[in-house]
Amino acid sequence: MANMLMSSSKPFVIASASLSSSTTKPKLSIPQLPLPNLTIKPSKFFTLSSSTLKSLSLVAATSLALAPPSLAVEIEKAALFDFNLTLPIIVAEFLFLQFALDKLYFSPLGKFMDDRDAAIREKLNSVKDTSGEVKQLEEQAAAVMKAARAEISAALNKMKKETQAEVEQKLAEGRKKVEAELQEALVSLELQKEETLKALDSQIAALSRDIVNKVLPTA
Amino acid sequence: MNVLLCSINTLKGLYDISGVEVGQHLYWQIGGFQVHAQVLITSWVVIAILLGSAIIAVRNPQTIPTDSQNFFEYVLEFIRDVSKTQIGEEYGPWVSFIGTLFLFIFVSNWSGALLPWKIIQLPHGELAAPTNDINTTVALALLTSVAYFYAGLTKKGLGYFGKYIQPTPILLPINILEDFTKPLSLSFRLFGNILADELVVVVLVSLVPSVVPIPVMLLGLFTSGIQALIFATLAAAYIGESMEGHH
Repeated sequence: MANMLMSSSKPFVIASASLSSSTTKPKLSIPQLPLPNLTIKPSKFFTLSSSTLKSLSLVAATSLALAPPSLAVEIEKAALFDFNLTLPIIVAEFLFLQFALDKLYFSPLGKFMDDRDAAIREKLNSVKDTSGEVKQLEEQAAAVMKAARAEISAALNKMKKETQAEVEQKLAEGRKKVEAELQEALVSLELQKEETLKALDSQIAALSRDIVNKVLPTA
Repeated sequence: MNVLLCSINTLKGLYDISGVEVGQHLYWQIGGFQVHAQVLITSWVVIAILLGSAIIAVRNPQTIPTDSQNFFEYVLEFIRDVSKTQIGEEYGPWVSFIGTLFLFIFVSNWSGALLPWKIIQLPHGELAAPTNDINTTVALALLTSVAYFYAGLTKKGLGYFGKYIQPTPILLPINILEDFTKPLSLSFRLFGNILADELVVVVLVSLVPSVVPIPVMLLGLFTSGIQALIFATLAAAYIGESMEGHH
């Protein structure tokens, strides 16, 4: 709607221009400013039809008012749905952009990312492989440990046996020695007992004599 | 009649104040054909942004990515994910097409919303997102059509055309019609969304110059991204559809 309103002044100029027998459309002389066109053409129009200005403007206005379909067609052509060489140029630009982006971006970065993925996967797999190796090494270590433990326990047993024998031997020796000493001590004790008894016997005789002397005053 | 002229003039005056320009183009003449210069200029800027950032970010890839490289890797992963979801295992050769579609549309839409194009005055028309122009969207949609025909024909040869009578031959007209509706809907969806978004923002700015248009602008950014994703996803879906075996 705004579109129709906006360009409703433009067809007026075009219509007047075509009335004044200039067949060149204002659209075709493009790179230059359209403003001079707008300023020039009304003046032409003025000079041509200064006498019949009123009637001509009336005709233009009525044609504007009575022929809306043709106006709409004109606007559509000129405005929104204006297909021209832009389309194939955009196609070409797009194909160029696709080629360039593929060469600069999609292919190299995609390849780089795929390579990185492959490298990471490979590394992960190799890590999994070494886990098997680690297991083997662990088994080996366990075997070594087992052997060492067995060896140590054997040595320990042997040593224990030896030590025990030695200890027993020493114990027996000690016991023998102690028994001998005990025997000796007993013998000496017996001896001392006898001596003491002997000494006591002699003393008993003397004492008893004393006692008798004291009790029996014989004198 | 005076009233008519008067009302037209006042409306035109109002229109000039609001500064809305729809369907105004800066025309260049190339070999007897006309082109929309503002579309070409902005598309060159978009292409320059894309290529420049890609060169800077991917110039020297690191095993442990830097920030910008990380971002580009994320984008590439995203594009690959979209392609793979829609096309299937043979998505490899189509990544560049889908990715370029997505990036070009996305950067175009956002450039229309974020870059201050209005600073640069043109003699006629104004600079805006390249996807604001029907030529651009139709060009992209036609490329998509060519792409899915190419995909189907290279995959299955002439057997590809068997899909037109696939469920039953009765559906032949509808199947043929689909080949026209696909690019039509693709192009008009994008064109309409972007143009409408920019118009709404411009009109709101002209009415209330502060604060109020900001939510609409943010919504516009969101819509722009969604439209880029939709276009790329649908293009990939069409390619995947024409490549898959019909049962």
